[in-house]
Amino acid sequence: MSGNGAMLRSAVTVGGIVAAVMLYLVTVGLVLAFSEREVITGALTLGRLMLAVPPLVAGFVIAGRGGTWTGRLVAGVVTGAVAGAVMAVALLFADAVPGVRGVLVRVSPALVAFVAFDQPATTGAAMNVALAAVLGLVGAVARATPPHVRRPLMWGALGLVIMSMLEPFVRPRLTDFELGAVSRFIYQGRGLSIPGAVIMFVAFAATTAGWRPLRARVGGRIAAADAATQATIRGMALLVLILFLLALPQIAGSFLSQVLVFVGLYTLLGLGLNIVVGYAGLLDLGYVAFYAVGSYLTALLTSPISSLGLGIPFWIALPIVVLGAALTGLFIGAPVLRLRGDYLAIVTLGFGEIARLLFLSDALKPWFGGTQGILGVPGIFGVSRIDVPVLGWELTGPTLTYYPLLFFCILAAFVAHRLKYSRVGRAWNALREDEDVAEATGVNTVNYKLLAFALGAAVGCLGGAVFATQLQSVFPGTFNILVSITVLAIIILGGMGSIPGVIVGSLALIGFPQLLREFAEFRLLVYGGVLVIMMIARPEGLVPDITRRRELHEADAEAEAEAEMTPVEGA
Amino acid sequence: MRRTRRLSLVDIILLAVRVGVVVGVVLGTWATLSAGALDASQWRNLLVFGIAQGSVYALIALGYTLVYGVLLMINFAHGDVFMFGGMTAFFVADALARAGFLDANPLIGMLVVLLVAMLSAMLVAILLERLAYRPLRRAPRLVPLITAIGASLFISNSVRGLYGEQVKAYPRVEIFQGYFFEGGPLQILRTHAIVIMSALLIMVILYWFVERTRTGRAMRAISEDKDTAALMGINVDRIIAVTFAIGGMLAGAAGVLYAIVFNQVHWFMGFLPGIKAFTAAVLGGIGNIVGAMLGGLTLGVLESIGPNLLLSGFGVPSPNQLRDVVAFSVLVLVLVFRPYGILGRPEGR
Repeated sequence: MSGNGAMLRSAVTVGGIVAAVMLYLVTVGLVLAFSEREVITGALTLGRLMLAVPPLVAGFVIAGRGGTWTGRLVAGVVTGAVAGAVMAVALLFADAVPGVRGVLVRVSPALVAFVAFDQPATTGAAMNVALAAVLGLVGAVARATPPHVRRPLMWGALGLVIMSMLEPFVRPRLTDFELGAVSRFIYQGRGLSIPGAVIMFVAFAATTAGWRPLRARVGGRIAAADAATQATIRGMALLVLILFLLALPQIAGSFLSQVLVFVGLYTLLGLGLNIVVGYAGLLDLGYVAFYAVGSYLTALLTSPISSLGLGIPFWIALPIVVLGAALTGLFIGAPVLRLRGDYLAIVTLGFGEIARLLFLSDALKPWFGGTQGILGVPGIFGVSRIDVPVLGWELTGPTLTYYPLLFFCILAAFVAHRLKYSRVGRAWNALREDEDVAEATGVNTVNYKLLAFALGAAVGCLGGAVFATQLQSVFPGTFNILVSITVLAIIILGGMGSIPGVIVGSLALIGFPQLLREFAEFRLLVYGGVLVIMMIARPEGLVPDITRRRELHEADAEAEAEAEMTPVEGA
Repeated sequence: MRRTRRLSLVDIILLAVRVGVVVGVVLGTWATLSAGALDASQWRNLLVFGIAQGSVYALIALGYTLVYGVLLMINFAHGDVFMFGGMTAFFVADALARAGFLDANPLIGMLVVLLVAMLSAMLVAILLERLAYRPLRRAPRLVPLITAIGASLFISNSVRGLYGEQVKAYPRVEIFQGYFFEGGPLQILRTHAIVIMSALLIMVILYWFVERTRTGRAMRAISEDKDTAALMGINVDRIIAVTFAIGGMLAGAAGVLYAIVFNQVHWFMGFLPGIKAFTAAVLGGIGNIVGAMLGGLTLGVLESIGPNLLLSGFGVPSPNQLRDVVAFSVLVLVLVFRPYGILGRPEGR
């Protein structure tokens, strides 16, 4: 019986924690911001979903704590009900005391009505309790279903949500390709129609269910093939990928191309910072300085109305810009070489801020234009439109920037990849692991640190150069500390030292917020949360670098290795 | 042989920076003083203002130093704890002012505001330690720093969401207006006097606490050697939480004092004072309580006098725009040339 008592107590605790999360989501404004965004038109909004997920997860978690199945289901209901009850009390309070809004500005009548399902407060409160209890139960039931059933259902639901988020981009493109009938069937209003939702759910669920066996079979075949065939397959895959990337702006349309350009820019910055932080282990919080130097140098050299007034074409200016930025990297790197990790981070942050303040200052206005920045930067090819003869593509605006940017990204990724597995990469590895030992074994720490700084700076300034041409101007306000932190968040999310990780990170942290306009205001909040949660839960990132994963999970890795030893006989 | 030569290249750069800074400071000072850009009373006002803002920095710096002492980590989010205290107390101050209580009993009213700020900042500091830092006790050194940066962003943007984006003006307290001391050449604003005296008082209490109480002794023991302290029967987790709580209270108090000097609070105000206070902590020798106070005052004065003294002589337009550059330059120079601070000793290497 005491087992049940303990179970109930922990159900109440988890319910309380979940309630705190829900209250936070409501009061910080996230729920209301997404309350208009439809997932399934007429049935579910993103705001509602946001409030539904926590009790669901709570039920799932609490049912994993063991005990009899009846006990687990009851615990799920209790957890949900506790969370719902706290929400109900908060709702009644907010309804009775309008002064709450004087402190918590988001608690508007609209928000109260939304949480109360547009019912009077008491009815709404009761509905909150009931719904949360049901969701808790559903979570507990989900724990009871076997994984091969649960996983497709989860991915089906997730795929449905993602497809509805993509509505503003998918829909116009479908119409462009004369598939208007399809789009009208799937989408309705700003979300999915009900038949559309069913189709998406089934499609994603079926794909997930089929994916594992398929991967096992194909993977097995490839592993069985000889080395030459494997190399051919890899080459073919790479070729298909590159062709896809080349054709992407044509498929995506100009609006989505703009998003791709942003993602590409941050991928480039991420690749550069990855060399400094991921490979050499030097936490650089002033990375924005190189981005700024790249932008300003490009603007100074290429704009006919800058203080230099040279108006050099972009591609001729580029080597000078890269050289200038690499020298800045050396200049910033040299004084900080002997500092310990955390001090180095703060000093580089100081450099980044100094750079911004100098660009901004009246004192240097004659050169950098103060708050007005530098205008009149010409486009990257000096023309506003290029027609590709055979394919019939016309490149303008963002699609024109996309290709050089893609080239720079591939170049940076290639260089980074080659360096990583070279002598230099091994030296950086040693440096990151233990500087004293590295020095003792003959690694020239000074040179390799400077090399990392200079390379990171060069890649960062490429990003800055493209950015200047894309915006056709530069302003000091763009180059604040938040850029450095955004890039850091990208490589932390993806995984330090992992090149695919950078791409995943910038897609998730730059691309996704661009798709969800309501999200813009909460971008930094989420970046902060991502940094904290990743460091605690998964420091190696989403797409971890293999070596790094081993370092961070030494104990786990040993256990894993043992686990891998056993099932070999079965396979 | 090759090694020595290459190292010396870095040495040459460092030496060049040193010489450049010294020459720049001397020339700038000389040029400004000989040009007579500001008269003596203006300098004195800048000095008093510098001390007032320096004592706010010092209070925040103490939080950095205390935490660094026990955990050897830079609590980057500490500036936002300070911000949270100032922001939360605003609502109490505003409510008291509307009710007329602040005019009737200004001292008790402000004391209540101060207490609210200290308690709310303490709460955030404790939560921060419990949720974000405690799981990372044994992680590599950069991991908690990155977490702290994330926490800083998270706290400031949460406050932006919860309390709104607008700048909030603290209510005017009548008895804080005017001059505290007006006789002769030296003028001190009442607000400045109040801030300086409260900060001093709080620091004295803190010093007594750390040096004379059991908990203070436990804190010092942990900063000497965490594992040995644990063996001596000290509850390390509890003492670390207490340290964060004290740091948070000091930061909350600093939040209200900051509001008294600058009259307003907003969600992004934690970043710059936070960085500056960290600079102050390192300047004084991180981990050293007296050092944090000294560093805070030094930085405050440098920041208010520096731009005028060093730059106006060269005819630089609007030198006060560059005061943050001065602060950040101090940060960079101190960390590069004297990372153990004024009162610290170099770590054995």
